[in-house]
Amino acid sequence: MKTLIRCALLLVGMFYTLNSLAQYDAEKVCRIDNGEIIFSINLKWTEKEKAAVSKQFNLDSAFIAQVYQGKTVITVGGETWNVKKVKPNIAELSKPIQSNNEKSLKFDDLFMEIDKWSNFAGKPAESSVVYGVNDFKISYVFVYNQKIARFYLPASKTAHKVYIAGSFNEWSTIQTAMEHVNDGWMAEVNLKPGKYEYKFIVDGEWITDPNNKLREGNDDGDYNSVVYCCNHRFELKGYKEARKVVVTGNFFSWNPKGIAMIKTSDGWTLPIYLKDGTYAYKFLVDKQWITDPAGKEVRKDADGNMNSFVEIGKPFLFKLDGYTSAEKVVLTGSFNGWNKSELVMNKTEKGWQLPYVVSAGNYEYKFIVDGEWMTDPANPFTTGSGNKVNSFIALKANYVFKLNQFPDAKTVIVSGSFNGWNEKGYRMTRQGGKWILPIYLPPGKYSYKFIVDGNWMIDPSNKLYEQNEYNNFNSVLWIEPF
Amino acid sequence: MNMKLIKNGLLFFILAIAPLITVSSSSMNSGDYKAPFTATPLSFLNLQINTYTPEFNSNTDSVIIPLKRAGRLFLIDAKVGEETGNLVFDSGANGLVLNETYFRNHIKSGGSTPTGVTGAVGMVEQIFVKQIQFAGLNYKNITADVTNLGHIENRRGIKILGLIGFSMMRKLEIVIDAKNNQLKLFRIDNAGKRFNKQLAEFRADHIQRIEGNSNILFLKGKISGKVLNFCLDTGCETNVICSDCNRSIMNTLTITGRSGLTGAGAAGSEVLYGRMNDFTIGHQQIQNMDTVITNLDALSEGYGTKIDGMLGYNFLEQGIICINFVKREFSIRFTKAVEK
Repeated sequence: MKTLIRCALLLVGMFYTLNSLAQYDAEKVCRIDNGEIIFSINLKWTEKEKAAVSKQFNLDSAFIAQVYQGKTVITVGGETWNVKKVKPNIAELSKPIQSNNEKSLKFDDLFMEIDKWSNFAGKPAESSVVYGVNDFKISYVFVYNQKIARFYLPASKTAHKVYIAGSFNEWSTIQTAMEHVNDGWMAEVNLKPGKYEYKFIVDGEWITDPNNKLREGNDDGDYNSVVYCCNHRFELKGYKEARKVVVTGNFFSWNPKGIAMIKTSDGWTLPIYLKDGTYAYKFLVDKQWITDPAGKEVRKDADGNMNSFVEIGKPFLFKLDGYTSAEKVVLTGSFNGWNKSELVMNKTEKGWQLPYVVSAGNYEYKFIVDGEWMTDPANPFTTGSGNKVNSFIALKANYVFKLNQFPDAKTVIVSGSFNGWNEKGYRMTRQGGKWILPIYLPPGKYSYKFIVDGNWMIDPSNKLYEQNEYNNFNSVLWIEPF
Repeated sequence: MNMKLIKNGLLFFILAIAPLITVSSSSMNSGDYKAPFTATPLSFLNLQINTYTPEFNSNTDSVIIPLKRAGRLFLIDAKVGEETGNLVFDSGANGLVLNETYFRNHIKSGGSTPTGVTGAVGMVEQIFVKQIQFAGLNYKNITADVTNLGHIENRRGIKILGLIGFSMMRKLEIVIDAKNNQLKLFRIDNAGKRFNKQLAEFRADHIQRIEGNSNILFLKGKISGKVLNFCLDTGCETNVICSDCNRSIMNTLTITGRSGLTGAGAAGSEVLYGRMNDFTIGHQQIQNMDTVITNLDALSEGYGTKIDGMLGYNFLEQGIICINFVKREFSIRFTKAVEK
């Protein structure tokens, strides 16, 4: 019996050993030895492990497959690899480290690769944030009113100079000095509603706002304080006996946890930042769903539930003159995922119209008149070509591309980093003796060119331009935060 | 991206500019600025160096510059001529290098330097800049190289006016506190002592003598007991070590990845990612420093001296560094484990 148990244990041990041999240890796969790069390939690796090695070390999977097929010499990409079986299950794949100095090193690409390697993905633009609520320890350290944000840093009596730097001033360490007021430092900044990150600089030392609980990690493994300049206030009168009231809606993915409201003397309130748009919402009073009793707009959703609605921002009036005999006209576009039935337009004496709130941006759209798709006849701006032409509109446009020359050109297109250098991109229109295109661009750097009847050219009126990868030039445009 | 431009700082400078630089005497007539190189780069280490002298705007003996960060780049808010924006603090830049997007129309100094490792590129021109100001320091009538730095802007999404290296600060004591994003500059006397005697001298765990007269700082470090020649490059977003170093050195590295740039037509040198496990400077061993492993022959060729590696961001975050070109001292105080 003992012998049997020993044998069983031995078998289990062998099974474990064999299995562990096939385990993939990323840090033991590759080494450099005597000018050669050497990969230890375990011939027992699973397909998943092979794929992981392939990805991590940029080895083509078909190339690795050849090692498994028992080849001893593999040539790929002009390089010859030698394969040597060093153990029953281990093959070593080696070649001299590539070093061709005659070629130009593309270190910029290298650094982008290093960014990927370091998971340096960057953060989503603050302009894409849909909602936000502040969380200050003391309410008076931040006040936002009439588009003026007032930041207050108590104490720091010994400091000589205090600045505030943030996403609103491109993190300038010199632009926004704080004023020494009673028992602290204060700065007022003109800000639009939105999300901002910031820090104080006290005599050259960066500090987060000690009274702000909202923080987000930044590039250097540290934190920035986060503030929202709110543009809306949810209010619910009464319900004084309720223990907890939250608000939720499509801006919060209808999460029933909701966002907690603050109890006031006559009900509940919540200052909030909401990106421009139309939102459905409801209150949960001690877990009981209610629509907003304050007479706000209430609509039925697709499931028959009644929801309150709030519109943030000014609506844009989409209009289609004529077609008065049509039965139904629908507005559809990139702003609603080209939904063919959602935005039914209202009939008027002269045609059709629909006020609709969308956030600042560039949109393509069409009308569907009794099932027939058509571009907006009153809008000269279009994108695309052939039968894929859509009307184009920039809502809250903050820049206008202009080209004074080429009055006889047939088409002038502006293409750039803002639309992935799409050659059929945004078609300019001739107005007032020049080609123009109003556009909305979030703050940042853009490179662009005009395409005049198929010929690419930089913007002759823009003195900022830089060399591109084709040893040619692109015009450069900076959109400042405000 | 411009093929000729490698990166900000040392790599950029060496691979794109230095190998072909031969500055004419006409480029040396501007104020107290001396052109970066006056001969072939093979011997430039022993040549004249820039002598920028700042004026202090305020009656102070030191300034603290809050460094901004864009990824692992350190930025300084500055006014260059009429332009306001960011300068990359880049100890790999020998002189002042400005971005041609904003400075191409400035008055040329008359100096121009042919560039291009591949021979397929143009010229680096030099311009006069009436004034540069940052953090209370004021530089007047200096000359700067002008080249395309658009690739850094595009990678980091920020406006880059130029690169600023040690040349602008070598008459000051330079303290780099990367962890706290601070650069401190102290006025020093001819002996290299701080003007303000009230200020305690820098407390160092290790002091190394600065050899040569270059604005580029070379440091001796050890891996596996072998002494290696490193450049200190504050503009280098990662450490770099050469791939043809001694076998015993390579054996101490852990290789964790390989670049996707090694296909046909991409980078000429294989790029590996990994960790230095056995790096020592002074008596301090630093483990697990991330590094890129690649061929640095072009770099060495540009300098005329064997470069074994570059100490960039990953090294800077190990402690507080003090550089005093007058005393010819590089000092470092390591961040203790508990402080990290």
